[in-house]
Amino acid sequence: MFLQQRARFAYVLILPALVLITLLNLYPIIEGFVVSLQAQNQMRPNPEAFVGFKHYVRALTEQDAFWSSLGRTLVWTAGSVAGAYLLALGLALLLNMDVWGRGFFRALFLIPWVIPDVCTALLWKWLYGDEFGVINFLLVKFGLITRPVLWLSNPDIAMPAVIFVQIWKLYPVMFIVLLAALQNVPKELFESATIDGATMRQRFWYVTLPFIRSASVIITLLACIWTFQSFDIVYLLTGGGPASATKILPTLVYEKAFWGLEMGYAAALAMLMLLGLLVFSVAYLLVYRSQSEASA
Amino acid sequence: MSSESGINRRETLALAMGGLFALTSGEASAQGQANLTFWTVRLNTPELAAALKTILADFEKENPGIKIKHEPVSGNLVYPKFLTAIRGQSMPDIAEAYSYHPLQFAAVDQMEPMDDIIALWKSNGTLANIFNEFAYKKFLWKDHYWGVPYNLDIRPVYYRKDLLEAKGIKPPTTWAEFQAAAIALNDPASGTFGVVFPAGNFHITQHFYMSFMFQAGGSILDKDGNLIFGTTAKDANIKALVYLTDFATKHKVTPPGIASYNTDDAHTIFVQGRAAFGFGTGEVISRVMKENPAMFDKVGILEVLEGPGGPSNKLTAAFYNPMFVWKHSPVKEQAKTFVKWFVQPGRLERLYEAAPGRHWPIFKTDIDAPRVKNNRLLDEALRKVVPYSTDFAYPGFGRPEMGVIDGEKMFAAPVNEVVVGAKTPEKAVMDAHEAMKKVFQV
Repeated sequence: MFLQQRARFAYVLILPALVLITLLNLYPIIEGFVVSLQAQNQMRPNPEAFVGFKHYVRALTEQDAFWSSLGRTLVWTAGSVAGAYLLALGLALLLNMDVWGRGFFRALFLIPWVIPDVCTALLWKWLYGDEFGVINFLLVKFGLITRPVLWLSNPDIAMPAVIFVQIWKLYPVMFIVLLAALQNVPKELFESATIDGATMRQRFWYVTLPFIRSASVIITLLACIWTFQSFDIVYLLTGGGPASATKILPTLVYEKAFWGLEMGYAAALAMLMLLGLLVFSVAYLLVYRSQSEASA
Repeated sequence: MSSESGINRRETLALAMGGLFALTSGEASAQGQANLTFWTVRLNTPELAAALKTILADFEKENPGIKIKHEPVSGNLVYPKFLTAIRGQSMPDIAEAYSYHPLQFAAVDQMEPMDDIIALWKSNGTLANIFNEFAYKKFLWKDHYWGVPYNLDIRPVYYRKDLLEAKGIKPPTTWAEFQAAAIALNDPASGTFGVVFPAGNFHITQHFYMSFMFQAGGSILDKDGNLIFGTTAKDANIKALVYLTDFATKHKVTPPGIASYNTDDAHTIFVQGRAAFGFGTGEVISRVMKENPAMFDKVGILEVLEGPGGPSNKLTAAFYNPMFVWKHSPVKEQAKTFVKWFVQPGRLERLYEAAPGRHWPIFKTDIDAPRVKNNRLLDEALRKVVPYSTDFAYPGFGRPEMGVIDGEKMFAAPVNEVVVGAKTPEKAVMDAHEAMKKVFQV
């Protein structure tokens, strides 16, 4: 009875925050959905005219806009998250060992995370430059190339180039999570596995991986959510070009909403994007819940 | 629970709230003071903002009943900011922004007609003093003027006099001469490119395509505002696209990475002395003066080129930037008073001095300023470029749709796509036409 009362009191205390957060999250989504059902073309009168699912039909039937951008968004997300995960895991494994300067490197690897996205984009734009870029300069200097690589001007290279920037931006947070998970792996298990003659690969596969699996799944899903909706880096580095090679969904939505003035259509695109994000979010919640139940 | 002074806590609170409201209210106060909010998009660099501050102070001194609250708006956020303001009905009383904004905002019934200012200017001779009638007629839509011009944003072609002289080449005046000169002056061994221009997926890219489009006899719209980009103007527009992109794809006299270049990238290559010709904005002048003053005497500005369209199509892209007033402003008459004061010959001299070349007067009489006489490049631009300037809607005038077509970079796309080899010029033009058609249909 006492506990029930305490729980009730706790709920009362968190209620204002809960209501506020719910409103702040739900209201924009509901408003966005309403706008997606309206004409909302800022070039035409009567923007609030109801048009039903017209914008959704247009989005789903226009090959050049939605589907191709969705495809690029999936490549962008998968490439960035996979790359960042592998890099973060490698570094976490390395710095989980007793190596010299471990504390310094742990701090150093966090730097990309604290740099604002706009600065990151500008920094990499300069690094990638064809005429003045440091990367091309070094590659030429070491005789690895004779002509500058067109990192952001070649449609075949631009997407990997922007993915690399996102990997650079994303890996620190994954690194931190994985390092924390690695530090929870009992040392005794390693020792017994080593005594039993397990190789390094076997120790990683059968001892380390099971222990970091849940942290890996959660941080990977979170990284997918962040990357799927990431806008700044691509927009500032390439503007979606060259020849639309890096036009992902967030840049398409932005372009349609704020340059095309088609708020209704852009809202429909954003709602479709939200559905994509929901897939990751639901997966995240399911994993999170199953882990909570397992640890309870 | 009254206090000794006869005022209770509730009354104190009410008074405080009232005071707060009075302080934050943007409307005319009880003393007859009008508070105007003025958004600027193009006057936000430190040197321009400082110059603007002194101009606004002068205005307030001469008009003690009006206070100006200046709020800079980032160029990248101009649409989110304005559209949010429209939706929240919190537009500024007055703003200066990009050339197509007044018509776009008029299309959603947010603009105050400026017909009275144009009528005044007509009667007092101000209109006759403006370089080009296009400057104000571009804001005419549905029988009303929705903005007035205050600034000219030019797109000259700069050249290196010393490099041309060294090879005995005269400054080109035609397409053929320009192409031959760019090829002849391309010198990879010395790190000098024949020509540099932005071909990235950015707005600036289409401005230079537009110049060549007009010079080829093409355009986006006809004089009645109908879309002809991929119909009657198709051949000329393809010709212009081929001519422009050939510098990169066929003659290979540009930096290899121009497909990702924005304004500053092309400017930087030219200002660092690495290109014989450079397409740029007026800002190149101030950048050369600031970053590479030794090169100033070696730089010239080309005559607008004559292309296949002949002498009558000797035109170049440029943009007359507007000032406009919000329809629902409670102080719109005072806002117009400010516009009339602000847009006058000689008034903005401090802006022009703060960043030479970046801002241009719209008045012919402003050419006689010492600032121009003492700066050869300003003088060349005024003589060689300004008289031939026109923009999007040429040969007609205002169409709100052109803001979307420019905004979505619909005619930057063909340049970018052809330079990277993603499309043929014909397909690029036709795809752009189809995209533009949708803007007029939606």
